[in-house]
Amino acid sequence: MSEKIDLQIELLQHYPWLPSLKELYHHIASKDPHLFISELFSEKADSIKQRFLKLFANAFENRESFDHFPINESNINFYLVLKILVYILNTDAITNRVANLYSKTMYKELSQENDYYLYQICQDLNLDVKYYQNSIQYRIRIIKDKKELSKTHFRIYFIDFLKLTSNLQDEYRKLVNNPISEGYIFILKQNLVRLLQEYVRGKILEIKGKEDQDITNLRETLLKIPHFKDLYEHIKNLWELKKEEFEYSIEIEFKDGERMDHIFPPCIIHILRQAQEGSNLTHTERLFLVFFLHSLKYPIKNIVDVFSTLPDFDREKTTYQVNFAKNKGYTPHSCETLKSLNLCKASEYSDELCLKGYYSKKHGEERKIKHPLFYVQYMHFKSSNKQYKNTAKPKKEKRDAKS
Amino acid sequence: MQNHKFLQRIFQAYYKEKKDSIPAVSSISNREFAFIPWNKEIMMRHIGFEDLPSLKQYIIKLGPRHMYSSGALYETPEHTNMDQKGFRGCDLIVDIDVDHFYTPCKTDHDIWTCKECQSSGKGMISKCSQCGSLKLSTLNWICKECLNIAKNEIIKLIYKFLVPDFNINLEKIHIAFSGHRGYHLKLEDEKIRTLTSNERRELADYLTGNNISFEILGFQQIQSNIYGFTGNSFDWSRKIVNKIKEILMQYSDDQITDLLTQLGISQNAIKSFIDSREHFLYTITSESHNIWNIEHFGIKTWKKFLEGIVKQVGVEIDEPVIIDIHRLIRYPGSLHGKTGFKVQELSLSQLDEFLPLNENDDALNPIIFESQKNMQKIKINAPEVPRTQIKGESYGPYVRDEIIEVPNHIAIFLICKEVATLV
Ligand code: SF4
Ligand SMILES: [Zn+2]
Ligand SMILES: [Zn+2]
Repeated sequence: MSEKIDLQIELLQHYPWLPSLKELYHHIASKDPHLFISELFSEKADSIKQRFLKLFANAFENRESFDHFPINESNINFYLVLKILVYILNTDAITNRVANLYSKTMYKELSQENDYYLYQICQDLNLDVKYYQNSIQYRIRIIKDKKELSKTHFRIYFIDFLKLTSNLQDEYRKLVNNPISEGYIFILKQNLVRLLQEYVRGKILEIKGKEDQDITNLRETLLKIPHFKDLYEHIKNLWELKKEEFEYSIEIEFKDGERMDHIFPPCIIHILRQAQEGSNLTHTERLFLVFFLHSLKYPIKNIVDVFSTLPDFDREKTTYQVNFAKNKGYTPHSCETLKSLNLCKASEYSDELCLKGYYSKKHGEERKIKHPLFYVQYMHFKSSNKQYKNTAKPKKEKRDAKS
Repeated sequence: MQNHKFLQRIFQAYYKEKKDSIPAVSSISNREFAFIPWNKEIMMRHIGFEDLPSLKQYIIKLGPRHMYSSGALYETPEHTNMDQKGFRGCDLIVDIDVDHFYTPCKTDHDIWTCKECQSSGKGMISKCSQCGSLKLSTLNWICKECLNIAKNEIIKLIYKFLVPDFNINLEKIHIAFSGHRGYHLKLEDEKIRTLTSNERRELADYLTGNNISFEILGFQQIQSNIYGFTGNSFDWSRKIVNKIKEILMQYSDDQITDLLTQLGISQNAIKSFIDSREHFLYTITSESHNIWNIEHFGIKTWKKFLEGIVKQVGVEIDEPVIIDIHRLIRYPGSLHGKTGFKVQELSLSQLDEFLPLNENDDALNPIIFESQKNMQKIKINAPEVPRTQIKGESYGPYVRDEIIEVPNHIAIFLICKEVATLV
């Protein structure tokens, strides 16, 4: 019995988001936030502050993980304070980024757990997961006379699977594409861990709320604690700096190093913004973006980077998919198709060119934009014309100013 | 008006007389009820009942044309604002209704009329074959064939999907004949009740095979070879392989040709498919071969073929119904205002033998107004009425203004269908 508790305590110190925290660390988890924070931040609390600043800086930079942290009680405090911070910062874009970074970090940690611990974690989460000491086979493929047997030690009840995958747009995680029998899906360890990542992400996203009296009050009370206030303001500043960069630019560059985002059509801008905010993209949106950027000859790496902010980002897989799409050589959708897919954002962004069209000298008439690539061509043409006239600003300087 | 008064009266009489056999749905006080009365084309929603007796009292008084209860459970079902009802989960509702899929018999008994050009014809179409207009009025009929197809879909849903793949306990499954063109299945399970609409959509895709990826399931082309499925994986590919085996073993060459032609596969490809059927059957039944090379079958043709197979394997469910967590379904034991038939609950063992239009077991007979002695005179008021076969007898076809004398249940059926009127 006590062995079991020891194990659980160890797990909690590593993964404080587990539900049993409330039981086993009741004394901390249900403490009044003000009391809790004032105790923790009674002194300068430099080391804990440093850890937070590092985490937020990494989140704002859209890094893919955050350095390992000690497995002890301080980790539990860290997690609880993190939740409070996110709650009172109350900025969706921040919450998204923290949720992504924190959950990706958890993914890395969980991937290294042994099967038994992983199973215990699932138990703690009250997930209906089965563990098989001897792996079970669920799929046979034969490619070029070579038998490929798929085996796993884990199965998960379909409802738990559906709940954990409902925010993932990935075809691989659609129920219809998964092996299942008698209610349980056969799932590889790494995929199970991926679902746990999604759980952790959801845990943090849950914090998102409308600004109301509760949030305002809590913020006011907590900011009376000087060391905490100091940390809070640091984070705020960091964000303000980052935000500016993020609102005015979309960090992609054309092959010759010239920025192009200012001449992108609303439909693309919209998807890029969503990506930057770290919200999920649908399959269609991803494909459209990839084909679009391919058409403009963006380097693979830059395209992959655009996706790095997404919650389910996996560099290897994305690189493969982006390459694959490139080899297919498709052109991006036309405006008409985009409209039917509800991806045209002309009116949302009240874009003149999209809404009103342009005057075509060649045809001697007003014409509508029919393709987002043409939008880019037209804008490119216009802006280079302007530049030509406006020789006051040499090209290089302009580029420097922006980057 | 007179018709409606008449129908309301006999519906009321039914509810009064049969009140003891009207079943209770589970958690009755947490369900939302809705009714469509006879005198107005409105749905009276957001009605709640304490218990079964108060519900019965209400329907005896109203004798409603249609009667529904929610698949969902609510804290206060009578609240008119959905967000304030206090949603407590929803049963999984599957509706299988021939309205939503093709059956061959529709060419015999479903009549459409174009509202633009007045042309008309038979069968299931989405736009007018003359002028292309989408404005059609339809007169959909029933026959034992389409009802049988619907029944088989329910059986397939249970025994090919719910039980083997999802391990659903049979006791949690409630089935009912809808009283018109199909069947309902309701699954009452604590965990399933918690599924959101999006999560239900995933289930719907699984049951229909929509959005399946053949590549993910292992189908691929490498150089000039097509690598197909092995048939021993615990996923959809096994269902596909089994169906292909069944076709290869049971269909005649002509039937295969018909099927592949329907799928839009070229005659060349069909010919080579038939030429290689023995060989293909051998490959597909063997454990260690999965090279599916057939002349003229490129990857695109294979996909067309596989999509066609998926359509056959999947269940013809009405997708919006299974996804909607606030959906209302017909109340068991109530009468369907378009037929006068009872919404008949069925146990799984009863389902097998059940014949809605010719049921021998009195307790299960949905045609509750059946009477061979009691005759009624009615007048046809639709341009054309297809033939109706009920209880081993055949009535019609009829044309406008015909005055006919038919047994009570047929008269009620035709008046409910709004193709006849009392005289
Ligand atoms: S009009 Fe075309 S280019 Fe403009 S937003 Fe719509 S789809 Fe994009
Ligand atoms: Zn017409
Ligand atoms: Zn029919």
